[in-house]
Amino acid sequence: MEARPHILIVDDSAAVTGALRVLFEETGHDVSVAESIRDAVSVAAERAVDVMLLDLTLPDGDGLSALAAMRMQAIEPRVTAALTGRAEPEIAARCTAAGCRAVLVKPVPIAELLARVREWTEG
Amino acid sequence: MHPLDSTTTAEHRAAQLEEALNEAAQVNAELQSRDALKTQFLANISHDLRTPLTAIITHAEILRDGILGPLSEKQRESVTSIISGGRQLLEAVGEILTYARGAANQLTVSPSEFHIAAIVAEVSALNEPLIAKKGLSLAVDVSPIVPALVADREQIMHVVSNLLGNAIAFTPPGGRVWVAVSYASDTGSPSVQVEVGDTGIGIAPEHHDLVFREFAQVDPSPSRRHHGTGLGLTIARRLVELNGGRIWLESRLGEGSRFFFTLPAGAAER
Repeated sequence: MEARPHILIVDDSAAVTGALRVLFEETGHDVSVAESIRDAVSVAAERAVDVMLLDLTLPDGDGLSALAAMRMQAIEPRVTAALTGRAEPEIAARCTAAGCRAVLVKPVPIAELLARVREWTEG
Repeated sequence: MHPLDSTTTAEHRAAQLEEALNEAAQVNAELQSRDALKTQFLANISHDLRTPLTAIITHAEILRDGILGPLSEKQRESVTSIISGGRQLLEAVGEILTYARGAANQLTVSPSEFHIAAIVAEVSALNEPLIAKKGLSLAVDVSPIVPALVADREQIMHVVSNLLGNAIAFTPPGGRVWVAVSYASDTGSPSVQVEVGDTGIGIAPEHHDLVFREFAQVDPSPSRRHHGTGLGLTIARRLVELNGGRIWLESRLGEGSRFFFTLPAGAAER
């Protein structure tokens, strides 16, 4: 049997990560949750991440620096998608430049979120 | 009166006047700093409201889509109402945030070249279900000579969406709503004009200024039939002006409303 895709959800709101954990666990994924850049990097160091859903405002800094730190340690997730509060062109441009595959505005309709994640984990 | 006395009185008055001016300046500074605090508070609270709303909506969608097991038809309807209520709330919160940023001069324009027709089509498509549900008809007329614009696409989309949303909200079933885009090149500064009109309840001329004022509702009573933050048109005006245009309306009570805004055209060639 093939391993379940590993999804890392990085967000400092337990309410948000709780909801996403239910969504992905119930749809056949392994889920890890991190509330800070430091936690996120240590999760990725422990087990390869297929998809990272990354909030941009974390208690210990800019979410995108988690991605940079992982890249330096060669533990970058296969795909990273930024989750932001607002759709602004300059935010989107910053995320894309940092290597995010997509920039999604919270709350992402779950049908869309699942479809995107399936496309990345199956493709 | 001795001439010396009158000099003293004049000096005294001048001193008094200066003191009063200083006081006024202090009060003004105090008011400005409080206003900035209020704006910051609005921005913070909007952000803090979004997070729990995101969780609520996501959980509700998980239930609705049967990810945790099948729902009865009635359960699904109920959960669907939670989602649409949550999305409405989210929109209101977004408006407050945009307003707060506008008030703090934190709104910036990111111009790009686009065709207004594409925006009108997109916004119309998004509103189609609502228009059908209310039994309204929507007509779109974009003049073929309208050139591409250079403006902030997101912001202009927000304006069109707000005006069309209002037109739909304030027009009773069976009414008509329209969007017409025209191009005026005969004036010194060529411009594109967008009209969003409806056959709805209309706005009395004495309220025309009021509708663009922040937090204003023409009917402020708690029992009013139309709800909202009262910020939509304030934001629309701000966004249009940021992009170099102007916005106004023509309306009378009971005779529908026509909102217009212009944007400078020909910027693409500059």
